[in-house]
Amino acid sequence: MNLTEDIAKRLMRRFSLPVPDGAAGETAGKVGELAAEFGGTVALKALLPTGRRGKSGLVRLVDAADAESVATEMLGRETELGLVDRIYVEKGADIAQELYLAFSFSDRMPMLTISIDGGVEIEQVHAATPERIVTVPIDPLKGLRPWEAIDLWSRAGLTGRALADVGRLTSRLWRAFVDLDAEMIEINPLAISGAGDLSMVGTMIQIDDGALGRHPELSDFPSQRPDNPRERLVDEANRSNPGGDARYVELDGDIGLLVAGGGAGLLQHDMIVDLGGQPANHSDTSPAPGTAKTEAVLDAVFSNPRSRSLLIGYNHLQMAPVDRVVEALANSVQRNNVDTSKFPIILRLFGPRETEARALADRIGGITYLPSGTSLSEGARAIVEATRKIVAEHGEGAKT
Amino acid sequence: MSILIDKSTRVVVQGITGNQGRYDTQLALNYGVNIVAGVTPGRGGEEVEGVPVFDTVAAAVADTDANAAVLYVPVSGVCDAVTEAAEAGIRVILATTENVPRHDAVRAVAAARNAGAWLVGFNTNGVISPGKCKIGGIGGDNPDALYPSGRIGVVSRSGGMSAEIAMALKASGHGVSTAVSMGGDRTTGRSMCEYLELFEADDETDAMVIYGEPGTGNEAEVAAAIRSNRLRKPVVAIVAGRFQENHPRGVSFGHVAAMIGDEADSASAKIRLLKESGAEIASSLDEIGQALERRLG
Repeated sequence: MNLTEDIAKRLMRRFSLPVPDGAAGETAGKVGELAAEFGGTVALKALLPTGRRGKSGLVRLVDAADAESVATEMLGRETELGLVDRIYVEKGADIAQELYLAFSFSDRMPMLTISIDGGVEIEQVHAATPERIVTVPIDPLKGLRPWEAIDLWSRAGLTGRALADVGRLTSRLWRAFVDLDAEMIEINPLAISGAGDLSMVGTMIQIDDGALGRHPELSDFPSQRPDNPRERLVDEANRSNPGGDARYVELDGDIGLLVAGGGAGLLQHDMIVDLGGQPANHSDTSPAPGTAKTEAVLDAVFSNPRSRSLLIGYNHLQMAPVDRVVEALANSVQRNNVDTSKFPIILRLFGPRETEARALADRIGGITYLPSGTSLSEGARAIVEATRKIVAEHGEGAKT
Repeated sequence: MSILIDKSTRVVVQGITGNQGRYDTQLALNYGVNIVAGVTPGRGGEEVEGVPVFDTVAAAVADTDANAAVLYVPVSGVCDAVTEAAEAGIRVILATTENVPRHDAVRAVAAARNAGAWLVGFNTNGVISPGKCKIGGIGGDNPDALYPSGRIGVVSRSGGMSAEIAMALKASGHGVSTAVSMGGDRTTGRSMCEYLELFEADDETDAMVIYGEPGTGNEAEVAAAIRSNRLRKPVVAIVAGRFQENHPRGVSFGHVAAMIGDEADSASAKIRLLKESGAEIASSLDEIGQALERRLG
């Protein structure tokens, strides 16, 4: 989960890390008021949880007196990074030097990335002079102590009075990275003022979704909820049923997918696309106990106006009983009044309690339950053909 | 031989008194696995399916000489459970828990490596050396049907796909020396390449089949190892997830740290790297058999 800058900076203040004064406004009037309070030059930043805002014109340095009119231009803009509905107003910083500082992960280790060439051109620095960027793994059992951070910054070329302060800040930021269960923290720029004071002017934080459960203080920012109503439905089911999350992402096609086990889902999706089919969504659900999340994904598929068919394609299950999935299907078919003669449903679902699952599918009626041993590619072909047929018979557009 | 587990493996089950631990223990015992101990703090002295339960892994090891551990512990306890097993001298640790927070995962990986233990997972359904041993739920209630014994090593980033691959192998007349579900989480105890190096040294394995996905450097490392001849046995690769490249999901952080790691992250890039290195690419499971025949004759 990417945090917006207002929240990221609020958290950094809690760790006694230096960030400029700032606050968020939703109207141009409010932005003008905040700017007047800070006075002088202010930064207006579109509150979108992404990077590259500077390059997209979504960060503007303006005189406080002009803030309201500039905010009027920015608010309501639909950009490639999202809709601008809030602006972060920040006191202008005195910047003599810009550094880059980030914590992230490689596959197996936390990583520190630093450079004395921070700022918006950091990607170019990386491309042109990679040696100006120092990347080192951090031993997660030992952490990053101040003197180690000082040594690393010295290797990156930082000298003089700033070295000690930057080293200590880096070590403190490591603690924040761990305590917040962040997957990534990027400070760009980390500004050094003419007087030698540090300020984390650009602060991006990405929290590890897998750790949100132990951070109730982070888990409920309304801006993080998906906009799509069906994605939101699945999101809500995840929130009210702890344990392995169901994922549901809508796409532009017409084939609804309830696939599980990660691998089989990816592979079937590739096969469908290769056969000329277009999935209406991707999903990944754990076959773990409880059907609430499976039903949420099924409800989403059935209520998505674009989907015309459904493939339930699981790996050969080794641990979980398959009849639970068909139970969820029966409930969702009934709840959504699905007419299986116009909405083909194909099941590739093998494993423990398959006999019970097949009997239950028979009772729903109109379902194609592929014979045991049918391969993933045969399943993909079956749903692509069934969908083609139903679209040919009943036409494109709204389903009946 | 086989890799990681065989007839001499003595298994301790951490979290044996929970539902999944109890169920898998029962299935493993049916398969003939030598499960010598269970661990649940506060339940020491009890028995589950005839297996003695201890309060700590160290106590279980002292009493039973257990050398492999299977963990059925909730996500909040998994880092501690791995560290406890590693420090108690367990050599192979299987962590089934999925979506382990990154910070916990890297700490557990470091603790296992420091102790010289081999951590399988996170998010694995197990390892099976057919006819000899299995750890975890792999194979379900009928491992013999899914995993016939043979001379092909399997390493999969998806537990379910290891079963699909085994079925495809069976259909083409092959069997498995050892099949490993290495873990579906981004952070895993060992890399795919480290498993292949074990298979390379195993005289009962003739070739390997890998299943890869977008994300992580696993497949690129395998390609590099094949190119540099550290892996000489044939490798057949199936990599899923190409479709993701047609759907840029929102906009991610434009940060250098990720840029550095992401160059070889897509399924297509991995397929290209593996192909160039000399691995056989199977675009569906049905092609695995032919790919093996091309290389094994």
